[in-house]
Amino acid sequence: MGKYYQLGKDAWDDALSGLTCDHRVYAPLVHGESQDYELIDKDLVRKIVYNVPKPSTPLKIFLLPVKENVSAGVPKNVPVIILGVPGCDLFALDLLDAFYLDEEYPDLYYAQRRQEFLLIGTDCHFSDAHCHCTSYGLNPYPSKNQDMGVSLINDKVWLSVYTEKGGDLLKKIQDITPLRFFGEDVPAEMEDIRQKVRKEIEANNRRLPNYQETTHVVMNAAYEKWERHVERCVSCGACAAICPTCTCFLLIDRQGFEKIRQLDACQYPGFERVAGGEDPLKKMDKRFRNRYFCKYLYRPEKYEAIACTGCGRCITACIGDINKNELLTELTNDG
Amino acid sequence: MTERANIYAPFRVTLEKVIDESPLIKTFVFVPEKEFRFKTGEFIELTLDGVGEAPFTPSSSPLVTDRFDVTIMKAGYMTEKMHRLKPGVVLGVRGPYGRGYPLDQFIDKEILILSGGCGLAPIRSLLYMLIDMEDQLRKVVLCYGSKTPEDCVYKNLFSELDRLDKFETMRTVDYADTHWGEHVGVATVLLDHVKVDLPNAVAVVCGPPVMMKYGTMKLLEIGFPDHDIYLSMEKNMSCGLGKCGHCMMGRYFVCRDGPVFTYDEIKDQPDIW
Ligand code: SF4
Ligand code: SF4
Repeated sequence: MGKYYQLGKDAWDDALSGLTCDHRVYAPLVHGESQDYELIDKDLVRKIVYNVPKPSTPLKIFLLPVKENVSAGVPKNVPVIILGVPGCDLFALDLLDAFYLDEEYPDLYYAQRRQEFLLIGTDCHFSDAHCHCTSYGLNPYPSKNQDMGVSLINDKVWLSVYTEKGGDLLKKIQDITPLRFFGEDVPAEMEDIRQKVRKEIEANNRRLPNYQETTHVVMNAAYEKWERHVERCVSCGACAAICPTCTCFLLIDRQGFEKIRQLDACQYPGFERVAGGEDPLKKMDKRFRNRYFCKYLYRPEKYEAIACTGCGRCITACIGDINKNELLTELTNDG
Repeated sequence: MTERANIYAPFRVTLEKVIDESPLIKTFVFVPEKEFRFKTGEFIELTLDGVGEAPFTPSSSPLVTDRFDVTIMKAGYMTEKMHRLKPGVVLGVRGPYGRGYPLDQFIDKEILILSGGCGLAPIRSLLYMLIDMEDQLRKVVLCYGSKTPEDCVYKNLFSELDRLDKFETMRTVDYADTHWGEHVGVATVLLDHVKVDLPNAVAVVCGPPVMMKYGTMKLLEIGFPDHDIYLSMEKNMSCGLGKCGHCMMGRYFVCRDGPVFTYDEIKDQPDIW
């Protein structure tokens, strides 16, 4: 449960400008039709967009940079605030944590960022193309893994606090500007929007399968289905790169026993090839199917965390116009 | 945060000796900078500085901790470079990783081992452990196949084993020469010559994928139950940590859930061979 506070938009902008002096603040800005996180300075504070669904870049990229030298000591970061994280990306952290904070082999680079970065979630006040979080039983607002929440409603800013880290930041904000405490219940006007948006997404996706029950559909799909749908795939790997829950990477060697961890994708040829040349995923349709097996069978079998949040980014990103929702609807209707 | 080790950082080992096993296979003896302990069947990630990193299962006895052997077949870019190494060079090692052979399951059993080519490397390490626990075993039969007599590795190992009471060995080659007095044909043909007391036996298979496949089928035909066939799977284990995804075999990460599996555990996963 959170603690809710309110302040005026100008006061919030001033506070945020203050925070940019000793924090790296990333928040979504709009560029043309898309919006994405950018490093915010004083001049950009007023351009931040609130409650707009889904920055193009998934939160994952802050915690697992596309390419990182994992040999040098773990770098000390300037305090980082990532503001405007949608609920789906916060849910996705469960699976990333299961991999990278794993007790036996924690990735220190990920762990440090996870510990240090302050995450400010945001409710989605409308839905974007291909958003379908509700078909996974998720809501279009954060309910875990955030330190604070921020929402802009009728030119008033609502802040909510969930963790000690969030509480510390709130104190800093209070040092700059006064806040009104509203209690621990979700404010009524916020709740109204939440329900409205949830219904809207449900309505947009009413023909989709219930993704909590897709495992057997994917498992039993006739092989021809994969062969047919893969025809438009070019193995670019965009779906994995953009996916908030894809975890795969490659270790690259550099002189001096250095290792570079670079994000990778099972869609690339040679992903599973062994030295002797055998490659279980040699054929493109096998690679294509592997993505769905991974999301709907392998990960759910092994981890409690959800392996697809319904963010829809992979649909937007696909240059072959492959739409996982269309594919899975077809498989469900066949089955 | 408590001080944890960097999971990607290798420790150093020095190459002490290179032994030619066959035209394509060499054994590398390494001296680790610190005591190195592993269980038989577990694997390591070996780094050739600036070139690459690849998984290998040590072929030496886990009872020796100041040295270890890795037997490597020339198969690609990195292994070709490995074959050109001279003693004194320093390499990197991460691990050991994974789940090796469950020796406690072998107690009081007959162990039938089917191996081919360079697949004898992990098996040699296992054999050293089996020799150590000979008292607790019924018998061990090693069936080994190579392409030609020249390709047969660890030539002394066979005579050493044959001297032991409970050990028996059989070899076959695909192509014999005039001096070859043993079997001819693929490794699985040797299974026709083995007598096993099925209820008290387990089988271990390690070799190239085709041999693993046909070997397993043959063992099933003989009557081995799925859960008594132990397979050492070769997949693209890259990080060794159950993260990078390259060694996924269905729901398993071979690097952590394996590399040793019973057939029972993996038979329903796609594309295992
Ligand atoms: S699979 Fe697609 S919809 Fe699901 S989380 Fe990944 S990018 Fe989003
Ligand atoms: S195997 Fe493919 S779908 Fe699964 S996490 Fe890796 S890149 Fe993503």
